[in-house]
Amino acid sequence: MSDQSKVYLKDRRTRQLVEAILIDGVSKDEIDAADTDWRKAFNEALAVLEKAGVPKSQWPQHSHWDWRKKYQVTADQLAYRILGVECQKQMQGLMLIATAGHYCRIPSQKEKDLVYVHFVATAPWNSPIVVKEPTYALVGRILIAAAILISQAEEFAGRTGLHSLPQSESWYRDNCGMTDLGPDPSDRSKLTYFEMTPEQANKFLE
Amino acid sequence: MNFNISKEWLLRHAEKDDKVEISAGRLDLEDLIAHKRALGASKEANEAPVPAFGKLINLCRRSKGLSMEQLAERARVDLSELINIEHDLRYRPEPRTVYQLSGVLDLPNEKLLQLSGNMVIRDMRFEQSAVKFAARSESVDKLSREEHRALEEFVKYLSEQK
Repeated sequence: MSDQSKVYLKDRRTRQLVEAILIDGVSKDEIDAADTDWRKAFNEALAVLEKAGVPKSQWPQHSHWDWRKKYQVTADQLAYRILGVECQKQMQGLMLIATAGHYCRIPSQKEKDLVYVHFVATAPWNSPIVVKEPTYALVGRILIAAAILISQAEEFAGRTGLHSLPQSESWYRDNCGMTDLGPDPSDRSKLTYFEMTPEQANKFLE
Repeated sequence: MNFNISKEWLLRHAEKDDKVEISAGRLDLEDLIAHKRALGASKEANEAPVPAFGKLINLCRRSKGLSMEQLAERARVDLSELINIEHDLRYRPEPRTVYQLSGVLDLPNEKLLQLSGNMVIRDMRFEQSAVKFAARSESVDKLSREEHRALEEFVKYLSEQK
């Protein structure tokens, strides 16, 4: 069962807000369709980068993410939820969160429960590192707001954590106001770990 | 879940979020798979039987000559919960219930919390003693000499532990 809420994205071509749907509990069919659409768009974008001679180290790091596998791994566990933003009958962003088994690292919040964002990404056509002019803005803000609201509903007071890819660090630090705990030594790629306190969560939602 | 994310709020942040990259997550699935495995292990631990707790409550109650109704009344817990505690090896009472029982039966609350599955048992010897105690006691109307001895030894052990 999935729930749907009305939200709005900014269409960057018209500079207007357009209606979209936030889906809590994205179905297998929706994941399949999104993965197919996204894979095609990524392949086209990567072909352009290859032709332009951009080294592979500079290609979008999440271009290989397989959302079908993520769904398969987590579908049988209630602790995981996949949320998506749909607009114009296409998935514009996806997020996989866990509501159990992750705990705060910020000293003042140490070991309190949090919602951990295992994966979040926009469709390739909304990503400024994949295309020069992304189509829709606000996809990420809606998904992170949803993670915080779920954290509040779970009585975690908005506490949220995630490992940011390098290109997104400034957004989580500056736009979301999350605490930057630096490169995580336990992560093979030493991704930077970010966490949101209840106060930061409230401020983000203001 | 239904979300209330207003148009006004999004409009307010539209400009600064105009062209941002938001991707986050480990680069492979290994961490997710490990987390799922850990969740499964913790679920298994939560459902593991706690035989020593029910046995201890049963023997202590009987050694004090109390019926289940009397103990439930004195400890201010539901009779149905006490029945579950004594007869269902997988039943995990709320910490409040454990606290109430520890007061009436003169047993150390923290140890009872561990035996009832409300706290993790980190002491291997304590865990072994609890298992041994559960195995020695039998459910009969009157305490046998063996049950008396098992109960006395275990209560003494509990009281000596800090």
